[in-house]
Amino acid sequence: MKVNFNLNGRNVSYDIPPGEYLADTLRNHSFLSVKKACDEAVCGACTVLLDGRPILSCSFLSARVEGRNVTTVEAVQDDVDEISNFFSDEGADQCGFCNTGLALTILALRKELKNPTDEDIKHFVVGNLCRCSGYQAQFKAIKNYLEAHK
Amino acid sequence: MKTKVVNHKTPSVDGKGIMMGRPAFTDDLAEPNSLIVKVLRSPHAFARIKKIDISKAKVLTGVEVVLTYHDVPRTSFTRAGQGYPEPSPHDKFILDEYVRYVGDEVACVAAINESIADQALKLIEVEYEVLEPVLDFETAYENKNVIHPEDGIREMFPIGFEPKKNVAAAYDMHIGDVEEALAKCDIVVDETYYTQAQAHAMLEPHTANARLDYHNRLVIYTSTQTPYHVRRIISQTLDMPISKIRVIKPRVGGGFGGKQALHSEFFVSLVTLKTKKPSKMIYSRQEVFESSYTRHPMRMRMRIGAMKDGTIKAIDSDSLSDTGAYGEHALTVFMITGSKVLPLYNKVDAVHFGGRVVYTNHVSAGAFRGYGAIQGNFALESAIDVLAKKLSIDPLELRRKNMMDEGETSPIFAIMGEGTEGTAMDMDTCKLRYCLDRGAELIGWKDKYPFVKAGPHKVRAVGMAIAMQGSGIPYIDMAAATIKLNDDGFYNLTVGATDIGQGSDTVITQIVAEALMTTVDKVIIYSSDTDLTPFDVGAYASSTTYVSGNAALKAALKMKGMLIKEAANYLKVKEEEIVFDGEKFFAKDKVLTLSDMANRLYYNDNQHQLSATESYVGHKSPPPFMAGYVEIELDTETGEYDILHYVSVVDCGVTINPMLARGQVEGGIVQGLGMACFEDVKYSNRGKLNSNSFLYYKIPTMLDVKKLTTEFAESYEESGPYGAKSVGEIGIDTPPAAIANAVANATGVRINNLPVTPEKIFQGLNKRK
Amino acid sequence: MEANRYLRPATLEEAHQILLQDAKNVLLGGGLWLKKSTSSANALVDLSTLGLGAIKDLGNAVEVGAMVSLRDFELSPLLKDIQGGILIEAVGQIMGVAFRNGATIGGSVAGRFPFSDIITPLLALDTTVVFYPHKEMSLKDFLSFKGRLSDILTHVVIKKSKGPSFFKKVKTTALDFAVINVAIANVNGEYRIAIGSRPSVASLAVKSMEVVNGAKKLSPELIVMVADLASEELLYASTGAASAEYRKALARAYVKRGLEEVSK
Repeated sequence: MKVNFNLNGRNVSYDIPPGEYLADTLRNHSFLSVKKACDEAVCGACTVLLDGRPILSCSFLSARVEGRNVTTVEAVQDDVDEISNFFSDEGADQCGFCNTGLALTILALRKELKNPTDEDIKHFVVGNLCRCSGYQAQFKAIKNYLEAHK
Repeated sequence: MKTKVVNHKTPSVDGKGIMMGRPAFTDDLAEPNSLIVKVLRSPHAFARIKKIDISKAKVLTGVEVVLTYHDVPRTSFTRAGQGYPEPSPHDKFILDEYVRYVGDEVACVAAINESIADQALKLIEVEYEVLEPVLDFETAYENKNVIHPEDGIREMFPIGFEPKKNVAAAYDMHIGDVEEALAKCDIVVDETYYTQAQAHAMLEPHTANARLDYHNRLVIYTSTQTPYHVRRIISQTLDMPISKIRVIKPRVGGGFGGKQALHSEFFVSLVTLKTKKPSKMIYSRQEVFESSYTRHPMRMRMRIGAMKDGTIKAIDSDSLSDTGAYGEHALTVFMITGSKVLPLYNKVDAVHFGGRVVYTNHVSAGAFRGYGAIQGNFALESAIDVLAKKLSIDPLELRRKNMMDEGETSPIFAIMGEGTEGTAMDMDTCKLRYCLDRGAELIGWKDKYPFVKAGPHKVRAVGMAIAMQGSGIPYIDMAAATIKLNDDGFYNLTVGATDIGQGSDTVITQIVAEALMTTVDKVIIYSSDTDLTPFDVGAYASSTTYVSGNAALKAALKMKGMLIKEAANYLKVKEEEIVFDGEKFFAKDKVLTLSDMANRLYYNDNQHQLSATESYVGHKSPPPFMAGYVEIELDTETGEYDILHYVSVVDCGVTINPMLARGQVEGGIVQGLGMACFEDVKYSNRGKLNSNSFLYYKIPTMLDVKKLTTEFAESYEESGPYGAKSVGEIGIDTPPAAIANAVANATGVRINNLPVTPEKIFQGLNKRK
Repeated sequence: MEANRYLRPATLEEAHQILLQDAKNVLLGGGLWLKKSTSSANALVDLSTLGLGAIKDLGNAVEVGAMVSLRDFELSPLLKDIQGGILIEAVGQIMGVAFRNGATIGGSVAGRFPFSDIITPLLALDTTVVFYPHKEMSLKDFLSFKGRLSDILTHVVIKKSKGPSFFKKVKTTALDFAVINVAIANVNGEYRIAIGSRPSVASLAVKSMEVVNGAKKLSPELIVMVADLASEELLYASTGAASAEYRKALARAYVKRGLEEVSK
């Protein structure tokens, strides 16, 4: 079947098997920033934005994005460039496999939450698992990033 | 020593590119149109393949290759990524007639897409003779069911390998007479502890891809911690010259020891060699849980004897380790359970450490951060607190009285290495005393120990543990680095050292930049490509900063010498007259920029390529030390508890990169807390791993640990590059004992088997009523 | 996953017919965990163009369309207003934000998942489930309904109510299933006690509710007795996550604390 949607600002029309998941469709079309880690909607590494809101692409059927807007890291390079500075600053960058999904979640957080408390921030990103960092450096980086954008 | 780059905040060289989504990981670099390789896995814990019929699978359109044990070379090997000859038994065949755990490899298919590969797996018909599995490691020894009855397996040197008794390895050592010493003690603590088969749960699943390049050589991209060991083992098992194989390690999405062994490399290599086409294999998350590796679960009996005044006189540690179906890292993990734990209390009269590593029909256990030290630490540091209670001595005081100090040693270092004899060494740096005191301060020990009431059924309590690890394996681990000067005056740095996310690319770049008095952006690092980078054993044993870093430092200093020699030549002065500031050479009233000189060396004048290669092998393994403190809030009605604060004070020598070093500690702490509190491993009674998904195996989230405080002690290790030791593993060792001790302080309930769950605490509280 | 067709029926009737045609025609909620229970389907049936994605104020109740995401459910001021926000508190503990953006209330309720954190508080409130073709059932009846459901769940209707409430999800990490969950609501003086993930799906502790609603005053002794009764009257079983005995103890502790909380 064909799925027609807006990907990173461009209208695309992809041929897909009906049961294909968005992560595979995106990776098959060279959007390699999208990572598959658990493939069962738990870890958040595969997060992409759908109409600006985070979804788990490993478990989201591609056909479902018909007529909608999908954003991957490839389309928000300047924003992610900036977020990466805050991560570097706190030494929060380790293996990086969770980072692309987390970066998009942070962009969504910034849009959705006004004046979040520490707890609000943690609840918003709790679905992005990280096995390397122990989270504290990530949290500080996110907080600093949001502060800079108050 | 004042430094400009080392021990200064430095962004990682690769964090930005990775977060911005550049293709960097193994599957990102697979050839498009790679054949998809999948493996049929055993549903039985122990069985023999009576008949295997691949005829239907082979003829399915889109299937290119189907392999069974009839079709692959029959050479035994170990998958463990270790130096040669490996201290792990050669007890694995690529595919075998026997399957030894649920998830073991039965057959391999390669097809043009995933869907067809899955269908092909379903078309393979296997008739099994189901055998009775050994599922309890405490009854594995001399069990009538022998897991490795086959011929052609062996140990590479004596490691206590007795497969007919289900023994993969065994070890025993003693100093003095421990029974005699215990008999003389006023108090003896005798406790037995159990730790579970923790899963690494790294976010990037195991994956490899292979292709033939235009030299017709086999090129393997793999998510590995040990590219050189992969190359050697593939060469040996597939019986092809090492020179025909190239192994490249791209960015790795986490390893923690779980990729210090081969995984899919055999299958993609075989498929690509047979079909001449590129192929790739990606483990599903279930395969990562069920069919890669776990931590060695252990039972440890700890006897500690002391006098009334708190002097510890003797320690007896008798352990049993479960290596699962295959013996990767069996002996070496086991030995570290003793060698990187018992020296903490070095003033004893007698020590005994011994036991066995047995086979069972469980998922194969292998390397995992801490590598035995976390298991041993849980046992020892829990027992020390039990002793403190029996003696009515404050647990900090007891440790202060007995623990290792700077300048001291332990006879254990000389006796116990990794698989072989050890290396005697003095603790030139050991800030354990400072770490212990500072940690107590930071957690508020004085006001909180053992517990304070925090509500009608809530208490807050503190617990702690001290730990040590190592920095590489002396006389065994070798690392090398090559630095080449480019036009314009910047450098290429090539190292075998394996960055798996711990930041070795950045740290080693910093060391070289410091030595060459330049900035990090002028040193371009490329690592872990067996064709292009010099040798390195790989990322394990906390060796990249200490061993690989030392090699890079040596190479940089050699390059600096070459630069000065060239400058002296150009300026027509003596070498001793040259002053170099990293950018310019000064002599008398002459100046020559590095950039000019580099250009001239390439294009104009006495042209030659400046290149410096140096290697390093350690003569000691200076341990990092730490004190870990935890504060919990516990519900005395239900046993539930929250982790409020974890304090880490670490002596790792100089932190080459302070932020990344902190990241290593905190990442380790949270993994340790995972093992201590949340990560429960469950097998069915038929030997199937039930906790084989993130839905059931719970790793910590951002909400599960409220606060981490991490500090580093002032410490300078002469033998390390710019004073550094290591920091990769030390963070993981203290949480299990710290948590168990905190729970005991809160409730009086001792939990001796991990994880420390609310239900266990609840049951303990009930028993006390 | 393997599927032959992906269908977006234009009407509920069309969707219903498709589902009746073949047991392997699968209705999609969020579809996030579909691949865990189904390896292959014939047709995947998507209702997202049928206007079931709205939260409507019905005056004395709130009507939630089946395709409303758990996240939109969580952010709804209308739903937050019901019984002290217990529904929001519960749904916010289900996985993470990205998960809740994909999962739907219809899928969560229709699935009658035993571990569900949203069913338990819905059960403690006055909740009706609406199906196509026309059928309405209380959530309570739906949970005990035996037999295969070929109807399509189209709406969940929750009666508005005010009053104190209590919700507790016992879990290991923040992304875990409930070991047990407890929802207690004081709906205009009537106490409702629902306990779920025992590991079975949520049930009302009917006997306990009788006792507590029949009492003139909620003394501490009565609360302890009711909590004990709640831990006895329902079925608790052992799983890898917890033993039956421990689940009972947790139920006892949290029913007690919940009643204390809502009777203040």
